[in-house]
Amino acid sequence: MVGIDPKAATRTPPKTVVFRVKRYNPKSGREWWQEYKVETHRGMTVLDALLKIKEEKDHTVVMRYSCRMGVCGSCGMVINGVPRLACQTQIAEVADEGNPVVTVEPLYNFPVVRDLLTDFTDFFEKHRSVKPYLLRKDREEQEEPRGQYLVSPEEHALMYEFTLCISCGLCYAACPVAAIDPDYLGPQALGYLFRYVIDPRDEEWQMRLMIADSEHGCHKCHYAATCSMVCPKVVDPAQAIQRLRSLLFKYKLGLWRKKKTAPLSEKPKDWKPRKPLPPEAQLVSPDVDLERLESEPVTVEVDGKRVELRYTIYD
Amino acid sequence: MSKGRAKENRPGLLRASLNPWLVRVEDHPERLAFVLHRVTGVIIIAYLLLHIIVTNTPARAGWEAWDQLMEQFGTNIVNQVGEFIVAGSVLFHGMNGIRLLLAEFFGVCIGRPEKPKPPYIPPTYRACQRQLLYLIFAVWPILWVFAGLLIFGVF
Repeated sequence: MVGIDPKAATRTPPKTVVFRVKRYNPKSGREWWQEYKVETHRGMTVLDALLKIKEEKDHTVVMRYSCRMGVCGSCGMVINGVPRLACQTQIAEVADEGNPVVTVEPLYNFPVVRDLLTDFTDFFEKHRSVKPYLLRKDREEQEEPRGQYLVSPEEHALMYEFTLCISCGLCYAACPVAAIDPDYLGPQALGYLFRYVIDPRDEEWQMRLMIADSEHGCHKCHYAATCSMVCPKVVDPAQAIQRLRSLLFKYKLGLWRKKKTAPLSEKPKDWKPRKPLPPEAQLVSPDVDLERLESEPVTVEVDGKRVELRYTIYD
Repeated sequence: MSKGRAKENRPGLLRASLNPWLVRVEDHPERLAFVLHRVTGVIIIAYLLLHIIVTNTPARAGWEAWDQLMEQFGTNIVNQVGEFIVAGSVLFHGMNGIRLLLAEFFGVCIGRPEKPKPPYIPPTYRACQRQLLYLIFAVWPILWVFAGLLIFGVF
């Protein structure tokens, strides 16, 4: 919706555009606006301009970026008051001859590390807390699969939209509820949670509904619906959260339960047990117990204090 | 996960509460409705507290004081303006509340999941909740003016 303007790249932006960048120095704690004049060309994105500033004018500007084509979701920032991906935003879209000024700020609702770089630790912890992976009752079968889970195209179409999320954090930055309540799970995590509740292959839907039913879960949403407006992948988390709530409402009244889960296909004729990965291909050493890691909270040391990195429904 | 606002550099409560005004998205009546719903909710709560204090008058100061107070309400312009504001708040909060109930509890008027296709407008904005919202924005001023006519004693 916002930032999806296919014709913007064909327009020519103003020759010189003033970039007002919000700077922050963590050492001195100083915050200030800095202006840079950038010579533009047709098809130039805001990320291109920021990199030009970094190369030619001021190499101390800090930002995060990676793919430059709207896939990785690293370069989220607030451009002219709207959270956008800098790599997908054409300058011609946000600046014109009448007002050739582009303001760039770090994402709202996130702790700022430096300049335009924000800290996503809590955001990803919330994402982790909704258990964003398939869970079956038969854990052994899941570890040692004997076939595929059968999903019809109609069932897939219902959840496909919500699988497109790239975790860029724009919805979280635009959410007025996440601004007030820092523990609110946020549109991204709840959208993901809904995607697994309606996924026919998933069987732990009751546990997922319990996570959504917590104090900082889906009931905090007030349907301002800006999350869907700023989403660069048209995921529509606002709809996901309202659907999740109505499902929860019906479930609590005993009117809804997940009727069907995807059956296992027949065992292929050439089925063989899964080979263990060679040691050089394993991400963690064989000594690490993954099941214990999953159930135990992660603790890290921050300034000599031990901080628990966990978000559960029980505390 | 660090709880609450404990984390360093996290925006403070004052700055965070500016978020509804800081994010400037065009063509977005839902966000305006969110802000209005909150503001009118605060007005209604304030009115409710005042209402409880005022209806306590007979117990506190006797029925004569109550009669005097009631006479005042019909004529005092400050009270009438206050009543007018409360009437507008209740009208908007109630009508928008019906829309929110439909969307949040019954999952209607919020569109259906679908494959994204050009022009990439999420189903939420093509669903009838938006038409309902426009209807509310159209009906609300009319009802409010009508309430004003009643309050200021034109009829």
